Amino acid sequence: MEKIVEELRPFFEPNAVAIIGATDKKGKVGNVIFENFKMNKERGIFKGSIYPVNPKLDEIEGYKVYKSVAELPGDTDLAVISIPAKFVPSTMRDIAKKGIKSVIIITGGFGELGEEGKRMEREILEIARDNGIRVIGPNCVGVYVPDTGVDTVFLPENKMDRPESGPIAFVTQSGAFAAAMLDWAAGAGIGIGKMVSYGNKLDVDDADLMDYFIHDDEINVVTFYIEGVKDGRKFIEAARRITQVKPVIALKSGRTEYGAKAASSHTGSLAGADTIYDAVFKQTGIIRAEDFEHMFDLAKAFAALKNKLPRGERIGIITDGGGAGVMASDAVAKFGLKMASLSEESLEYLKEHFPPHAVAGNPTDVVGDTDAQRYKYAIEAFVRDPNVDAIVVIVLFQVPLLDEMEVIDILAEYAEKSEKPIVAVAMGGKKTEYYAKILEDKGVPVYPTPERGVRALAGLVQYSRYLERIKG
Amino acid sequence: MKVIEAVKASGRNSLVEYEAKQVLKAYGLPVPNEKLAKTLDEALRYAEEIGYPVAMKLMSPQILHKSDARVVLLNIKTPEELREKWEIIHENARKYRPDAEILGVLVAPMLKVGREIIIGVTEDPQFGHALMFGLGGIFVEVLKDVTFRIIPITERDARKMIREIKSYPILAGARGEEPADIDAIVNLLLKVSELVDDLDDYIKEMDLNPVFVYNEGEGAVVVDARIILK
Repeated sequence: MEKIVEELRPFFEPNAVAIIGATDKKGKVGNVIFENFKMNKERGIFKGSIYPVNPKLDEIEGYKVYKSVAELPGDTDLAVISIPAKFVPSTMRDIAKKGIKSVIIITGGFGELGEEGKRMEREILEIARDNGIRVIGPNCVGVYVPDTGVDTVFLPENKMDRPESGPIAFVTQSGAFAAAMLDWAAGAGIGIGKMVSYGNKLDVDDADLMDYFIHDDEINVVTFYIEGVKDGRKFIEAARRITQVKPVIALKSGRTEYGAKAASSHTGSLAGADTIYDAVFKQTGIIRAEDFEHMFDLAKAFAALKNKLPRGERIGIITDGGGAGVMASDAVAKFGLKMASLSEESLEYLKEHFPPHAVAGNPTDVVGDTDAQRYKYAIEAFVRDPNVDAIVVIVLFQVPLLDEMEVIDILAEYAEKSEKPIVAVAMGGKKTEYYAKILEDKGVPVYPTPERGVRALAGLVQYSRYLERIKG
Repeated sequence: MKVIEAVKASGRNSLVEYEAKQVLKAYGLPVPNEKLAKTLDEALRYAEEIGYPVAMKLMSPQILHKSDARVVLLNIKTPEELREKWEIIHENARKYRPDAEILGVLVAPMLKVGREIIIGVTEDPQFGHALMFGLGGIFVEVLKDVTFRIIPITERDARKMIREIKSYPILAGARGEEPADIDAIVNLLLKVSELVDDLDDYIKEMDLNPVFVYNEGEGAVVVDARIILK
């Protein structure tokens, strides 16, 4: 087994977790984390053992409490620490003695808060390096894995919803962002297979996680919210390895941080952190997201269409509303894609099956009196047409003669059997959302505006081009 | 490299144009056939060898912006004019920086003007050296139409850099112009990447600005260059 997989596996599927600083005081970090594991154990999701550690308690909710790390059973392979910062270094030494190799330090108040904190961080790192311990944190919310029940997110379930499992990994420095994002993903129905918030990134960093995710069969898209990278070259190497097999999407913040940097050369004055990150992302095949929404629009497209990357950049658009078709065509130009020109065969096929007022072309407008069958003819033509590389199907479910479930089934059928990526766009309110959800559950990524649908496809095209380039 | 060692030994942290071009030349980058004259007699001799008209540029570590100091004099047509300009260039330098240490005067051929590009190198604290490419003049000054890659780059990277700047049509040949020598730019970018990759312990930043690029098949030449050491 790969060394990195061996090292990081206990973070995601431990045999036994020690919760250092577990408490019975409701709402305290040590209590929420304990409750998370306990609930997941009761639900049958968390299969390992739970060992609370607290010198002042004998028992929490029926669980035996260990007075010290030294007393912990020998099968403990993950320690989650939520005790005050000043006690962490000595606890790390106990952990080293015990032979536990994976530690999540939730506690804040280290490097982010001055010299003494930095000194403690160095001490912790030294103990970790000397004893082959991997550390996530400090100052983080840690790890969330819905499949194995690992959940160190110290925001209780009644305050923050958890997303269901899915093929997307999400990595972030910021704990608050992690929590908000998980809550949002739960609401948006986006499945997250693994979330890691690494806080001060003392040890485990983006590069380690990329190397781990290469081998993680549960994950097929990795998303990062990056504030800064410590070891740029390590990041580049790891990014190049993973993007050969899995798409990576990054949202980079701090666009203006370089502003004040004094440079003596002309070139130096033109280089900002942002331009450098742009270069890094381009050279490593990482898809850069403009914002949070874009990141998950891309993640959704990759999760569903990873094995159907477009062979080119020629987009075909099918719509039942002229305006929406124009918006999609504009977006095609805006995101550097091209409108496909349909083959003569396709045009004839469409004219043969369309009433005279429907528009065969690109966009193909099945118009407002469409039924589901008209969509079927259009999709059939686009899927067959060698001049079309990817398809956007805009469905305004509001039109009167359209059987919603029938068009959903047609889309799902073609999305399944076509080798070309198909994304759907459904604009509307509550009723549309309801049908969009059904369509998504059938494996078709659905977007609320033509622009967002096309932009997601542009990400697929970009990644596809990168793969072609590196594979020569 | 000897030039770099010598500059460091003299306590300086940047290479003047003449020194920078020696480094570039060693890596096969196209630089003009120019010579550093320490005396007026040398200048006259070099001008004769190169052939009039010539340009003169005064080299001083203290004068970084040569045109501001008016120590670049162009289109010198005769030995008489050269004698006269030799005095003027030194006087201008003294006026601009009385303490300027003068390394000599670079005597250079007058170059045919080409499309101006800029190639540069900067060092990022996290990712190391990055290579920059853009069109010169207002495109870089006003529009900041430049693109970066982390060094080392591949040939594909170089081609992509050239194509992705907004002003690329100017190189490709807009409005009936001949296309510029793209292969020459690719070659320059790759050589700078190689040079910096080799000398990354020494080099901090670098500007090749401007570089003249000629029409397809006619090459390119580095007109001015600066290298800042670590």
